[in-house]
Amino acid sequence: MARKLRVWVDQHACVGNAMCEAIAPAVFRLNDNRQSEVVDPAADSEEKILEAAENCPVSAIYVEDAETGERLFP
Amino acid sequence: MSMTAAIQDDLFTDDVIANPYAYYGRLREDDPVHWNEAYALWVITRYDDVVWLTRHHELFSSAVFLNDRRPAYPPIDESDLGLYEYVKNYQGNQFIQHDRPEHLEMRRVMHGYFTPKSMEAWRPFVKAAVKELLDAAEAKGSMDVMRDLATPLPVLVIAQMMGVPAEDRPYVRQLAEKLLYIGRGEYDRMRPLSEGMRGMIEYVSPLVDKRIVDPGDDFISVLARGEKQGIFTRHQVLVNTSLLLLAGHETTINLLCNGTLSFMRNRGQWDLLQQDPAGRAKLATEECLRFDAPVISIQRIASQDVELRDKVLRKGDRLRWFISSANRDPEAFENPTSFDITRHPNPHVAFGSGTHHCLGATLARVEGQEVFKALAERFPDMRLETEDLEYQPSITFRSLKSLPITLH
Repeated sequence: MARKLRVWVDQHACVGNAMCEAIAPAVFRLNDNRQSEVVDPAADSEEKILEAAENCPVSAIYVEDAETGERLFP
Repeated sequence: MSMTAAIQDDLFTDDVIANPYAYYGRLREDDPVHWNEAYALWVITRYDDVVWLTRHHELFSSAVFLNDRRPAYPPIDESDLGLYEYVKNYQGNQFIQHDRPEHLEMRRVMHGYFTPKSMEAWRPFVKAAVKELLDAAEAKGSMDVMRDLATPLPVLVIAQMMGVPAEDRPYVRQLAEKLLYIGRGEYDRMRPLSEGMRGMIEYVSPLVDKRIVDPGDDFISVLARGEKQGIFTRHQVLVNTSLLLLAGHETTINLLCNGTLSFMRNRGQWDLLQQDPAGRAKLATEECLRFDAPVISIQRIASQDVELRDKVLRKGDRLRWFISSANRDPEAFENPTSFDITRHPNPHVAFGSGTHHCLGATLARVEGQEVFKALAERFPDMRLETEDLEYQPSITFRSLKSLPITLH
């Protein structure tokens, strides 16, 4: 079974490039400010979430193992 | 509003070119959504408006050439209308001049190449190139930052990424200089501009042909893959190869020159950088980007009627949003006219915002950080040779003509 992730977006850094939403639309969604927010960290695979994080042009996405706290990105 | 009658609308006067901050700063105060009568153009100058409009790409189209039937602004020579059609077609095929869904599809072809992680891998190459250029300058005791550092460095880096042979770099820069007429106002600017475009297409064609058949790991091969995936036409591969060759260096040139100038005019901040060049280079580069940004303004076209403050932009209206004034908006930045390399957070819009946020932002940052760090480490006593500096007459690029420096 897939491990549980803690995923968040740094709102001071996010520029609303929306590449995360394009890659994992069930996990990331743009809010009223047109900045990305995590709606459901379990809605896509770890691989897709890491791909979204890596493709953030301002490295605003953070990913951790929810149980161990291990930092998976960046 | 009583002040607006006094606003003159020529954006190419010596005063506006020399100091855009005074002119656009005044607009930001007096009439932040200003109708420029001379060019039939909205001029948007407040930070929050710029952020809002760049994040509402569905309201403001980036397809500013293909969908615009009106004449060029400022006006051009009537005998050049044919050339203008060529220029529009060339510009219109750039991925940045598309809206969703095409823009997203095109950007995704390239986006993965420019991630922060993959650009970080270029840092050692950038560092070595900076060292080599500064070694040459040190031997001479002085340099024109524009000619000897700010131009050769980014040209070398982007040429390396794109697999352009070393001996072709001066020719590529020569063509690029013609392409910069896009942001200028001369009556006959379509001539050098279209020459540069034709020259670029001609130059990159064999490079692209080769990578269609035999792809490598360079960036032109990435674009060529976009053709195989059916996302780009061949013409679009050629135009976007040319675009990346230009955009991959021109804006960085301005970051390096304008940033160096900011340090020279703010000696206290230069001293501060020297206390810890490696530790301070990152935030310092952000402040250089904010304080004297490489790009002055960018155009959009309203996709529908849009209300902005007390004005209504009509569907099809042209607008330009001004990075130069947004980055100095007192509503967004404390002491906006102070160059402060410890500023944090620093949410400047030098790279734009939203879906069109600059593809090469991380590369520009890496190059800026390595240059400012190396200059501070090696030439603590460097000084301007003259205060008599001139800028290219452009409303797009904030480009010095030269920046002579004494190193010791």
